[in-house]
Amino acid sequence: MFKLALRSLIDKKLRFALTTLVVVIGVMFVVGSFTLTDSLRSTFAGLAQDIARGADLTVRVDQTFGGDFERATVPEAVAEQVAGVEGVDLARPELAALNVFIVDRDGEPIRPPGPPALGFSFNPGSFFITEGQQPVAPGEFATDTVTAANNDLRIGETYQINGPLDVEPFELVGLFNFGSPDSHTGLGQTMAAFELDEAQRFFGMEDGYQAVGVLVSAGADVSEVQARLEAELGDDYRVITQEVDAAEQEEDFNQVVDIFNTVLLVFAFIAVFVSAFIINNTFQIIIGQRVREIGLWRAIGATPAQVSRSVITESAIVGALSTVIGIGLGLVLALGLRAILEVIGFPLPPGPLTLQPRTVVLALLVGLGVTMVSSIAPAIRARKISPVAALSQDFQLGATGLRRRLITGGAVLAAGVVSLAAGMTAGLDTTPTFVLLGVGAVLAFVGMNTVSPVFARPAASALGRPAKAFFGMPGRLGRDNASRNPRRTASTAGALLIGLALMGLAAVVGESVKKTVDNILDNAVEADYFIQSAATGFGPPPGFPARVADEVEALPEVESVMRIQWAFSGLSVEGEPRDIVAADMTLADDHFDPQVSSGDMAATDPLTSLALHSDSAESLGVGVGDTVEATFPDNQTETLTVVAVYEDAAIYGNWLIDGALWDSHFNRNDLAFASARIAGLSGAAGEAEQAALLQKSRAAVNEVIDRYPTVKVENQAEFRQTQESQLTAIIRVIQVLIGLSFVIALIGIINTLSLSVFERIHEIGLLRSVGMTRKQLRRSIYWEALIVAVFGGLLGVAVGTVFGVATALALPESFVQVVAVPWLDLVVFVVISAVAGLLAAILPAIRAGRMNILDAIAHE
Amino acid sequence: MTSSPTQALAVAAQAVAASKIYGSGDTEVRALDAIDVAFEQGRFTAIMGPSGSGKSTLMHCMAGLDSVTSGQVIIGDTDLTTLSEKDLTLLRRDNVGFVFQAYNLVPTLTAIENITLPMDLAGSKGDTEWVDEVVGATGLADRVKHRPNELSGGQQQRVAVARALAGKPQIIFADEPTGNVDSNTAAEILGFMRSAVDQMGQTIVMVTHDPVAASYADRVVFLVDGKIVDELLEPTPGTIRDHMTQLGA
Repeated sequence: MFKLALRSLIDKKLRFALTTLVVVIGVMFVVGSFTLTDSLRSTFAGLAQDIARGADLTVRVDQTFGGDFERATVPEAVAEQVAGVEGVDLARPELAALNVFIVDRDGEPIRPPGPPALGFSFNPGSFFITEGQQPVAPGEFATDTVTAANNDLRIGETYQINGPLDVEPFELVGLFNFGSPDSHTGLGQTMAAFELDEAQRFFGMEDGYQAVGVLVSAGADVSEVQARLEAELGDDYRVITQEVDAAEQEEDFNQVVDIFNTVLLVFAFIAVFVSAFIINNTFQIIIGQRVREIGLWRAIGATPAQVSRSVITESAIVGALSTVIGIGLGLVLALGLRAILEVIGFPLPPGPLTLQPRTVVLALLVGLGVTMVSSIAPAIRARKISPVAALSQDFQLGATGLRRRLITGGAVLAAGVVSLAAGMTAGLDTTPTFVLLGVGAVLAFVGMNTVSPVFARPAASALGRPAKAFFGMPGRLGRDNASRNPRRTASTAGALLIGLALMGLAAVVGESVKKTVDNILDNAVEADYFIQSAATGFGPPPGFPARVADEVEALPEVESVMRIQWAFSGLSVEGEPRDIVAADMTLADDHFDPQVSSGDMAATDPLTSLALHSDSAESLGVGVGDTVEATFPDNQTETLTVVAVYEDAAIYGNWLIDGALWDSHFNRNDLAFASARIAGLSGAAGEAEQAALLQKSRAAVNEVIDRYPTVKVENQAEFRQTQESQLTAIIRVIQVLIGLSFVIALIGIINTLSLSVFERIHEIGLLRSVGMTRKQLRRSIYWEALIVAVFGGLLGVAVGTVFGVATALALPESFVQVVAVPWLDLVVFVVISAVAGLLAAILPAIRAGRMNILDAIAHE
Repeated sequence: MTSSPTQALAVAAQAVAASKIYGSGDTEVRALDAIDVAFEQGRFTAIMGPSGSGKSTLMHCMAGLDSVTSGQVIIGDTDLTTLSEKDLTLLRRDNVGFVFQAYNLVPTLTAIENITLPMDLAGSKGDTEWVDEVVGATGLADRVKHRPNELSGGQQQRVAVARALAGKPQIIFADEPTGNVDSNTAAEILGFMRSAVDQMGQTIVMVTHDPVAASYADRVVFLVDGKIVDELLEPTPGTIRDHMTQLGA
């Protein structure tokens, strides 16, 4: 039987190649994602060790939650205390700040598109000067060799640098390699290093340091020194070894790698899922075509078990070969992704690709597993073929009855819908919500695909009506062929359905988010100007110097400026980290209306006030006047009084404190966002006067902003446009990535059409002999593909819209308040799938046209 | 050898020194060896011969489904050897009718749609009165809305003959039209073809190896090794068998 299976594969090379290709793509994605992320992990592990090597021990404030840049500083007195401990040779204070942009000589801020722009105090332990000297005086800085080379920064020249507080000129005095003397270790970040006191002043961190690096005296034991330091400093401080420091850095890096890995795996999963449909479909068709051959085997004595074994063996061969090719191509894909990442601004340090045994096992599971599981149903069907089939002319292979399909498929679909509904109503806790939604989506897809043959025939026949009406016999035949085998039509369309449903989902969610932003801009926004960083790239915009807001506020045309800062996990309440926003609470209501439902933001002392979104208030069981114990990342706990509860979380999130309270607990001085209101605008009589006021104030604001190359200002209309285009860009990127599943679906259509054409070889021979031209024949195949593709497209868009609406309803209100469906996009998707169908038909159509008529008639 | 007494009749199709050669050198096979043959209008001709005699090849070449290596094939006034692939297709569509042994009908089309298929491919309505007449002659008027799989084998072949007739072609080629059916059904189909010649004035050329089927023809042409070796007018199954025995001996 193995020999038979092998022979059947060799005889049908094209069919074999197409099936293999589909599996290869799935395996390739799995291997590519794991290989790349494993390689990243090992590279980052090396990088983390390089970074940690600068000190034997590091002293930091103990932090229970929050980010590195939100940690409380080590006071100067404590640093001196550290220096005095026995066995400490050198105690070197360390400082770092985000959003320190060097402005090149053309006035353009140097902004790495992905990684951060960092400022440091110069640390001889990990910064190795290669040229010039280290900064020792105010007004001097050094930068890393890569940033200097990429931007033509020269020693001796003076550059503007944007700090957290202000823009100041500094002279470049030296270039250094980070991590090792020989080469710069970096991930594309830009680094500006200053003398320690100068860094403290420039970063606005005069009262302390982020950490103190310790070098132990020659001959001293590191762990003894560590113990002495711990005893001396007490519980408020952590003393960590080089190894722990490296491990913690690595963990930070790995969090990023994990997100990346998840994203890649989602695409791998989609690829595998779509592939499974196509493989199953291909095997079904192949069995259908080999009915006579299998009947003959049975007639000459093959048992049903042997027949199904040969089908499964055939799939095992396809699976094994695809896995091997897929692993190879997966490694290529990893290299390709690394190259793409470098192009878009995340240069990864070079390193060998890591192919772990785990990756190979997974590849086998996916490649071999998916193929073999997909062949089970066809194998069962094959064993039911009777010896008589070999003899009879028109043996039709039995298939699952449509009624049974409707019942089982309906049940699976219903389970999917229930899971989706449960996901939607699961509430704010997002993880189980998305698990439910994900499971629901997969179930719904499978159910949908089981049910869809039931309406494939009427749908294909209805879709084909115009083809028949306007394009004569070729259109008519295309339509008939598309509705001829509803199961095949449905599963071919199914491959397209998945991709389109996901694109549709992204479109609906995206449109809803966009409409929500529009809604907020229409209803909540009262401010006239919006100031933020001009640097665009991936992720949220970085901060900008706080000084800008002061200068704009000082303008006579400006009535008020509200400063906004925010932090993930910036507050801990009842043991849970909360994301917080800080703003001037006296102005909060005037600039953006969060729809306060009770209390008054500006009513009481800003240093003890807290405003809450109604969801948070509800889950904590508090109202206006109640108190909340809140811990900050600097480990201090405050008793805050709830002064207001609001309904709209779009601007201020769920937790809002005053800027004054932020300043007393956070070291970050740069602003995330600021808004300004123009004086006298509401009192202005008539539109002309308003316009004049706006024009005058814009000029004044621009004059300030122009002095800061990394900052931009927008009016309401511009602000709206920027928000929309950013959202659109993100949605498009996601859709293009999902569109990859289109390629697989395309192969699926080529596969099915080629096999169907082969199956209808007599009919084609007949049509050609009674006078169908090649062009007419090709046209009928194009019509067939078009109808199948539009069927898949329409189903996909319908499913995607339902999923999208479900997801939009499930998302918290701070993301989505309005559910909107982008009809035009959805129409475009159907058109895209129609075009994909036509493209897929080209090859089979040409092959059918070239078919020799006599061979076709004589074909057995 | 009997000379043809029907030279007075116009010729619907003819082959002139037509050869069809496969392979070359030692493996050369002459499927047709400089054949000269003419099929007169309004007559029913059968081509007979043992397996491999070239009878199917002759029919395929005459019908424009295959090309000759040398010589000429003429249908009406048209020399097929000068036509492009597309013109050949259009000639088949407009001037030639076909009946095959099996797979004669497109399964997704109804009987009447199969009958008008060549006209639909041409985008023309055709002669509807004539189509009605042909359908009437098949005796299947009440079953024309059915799909082929709802018709018996004989009914399917009658639909195929009707399709060949519907376009009023210059000539109809039938390749073993009764090869797949029982003798009663065969008689039904052959009777229909006979009446198409007698009552509608059609020209039919049929390849067969069945003496009974061939006996419906006006003339039988015998082929051996790519050459015409004999012919017989007003044949009966008995005379045909005799000729075949002689040829085989």
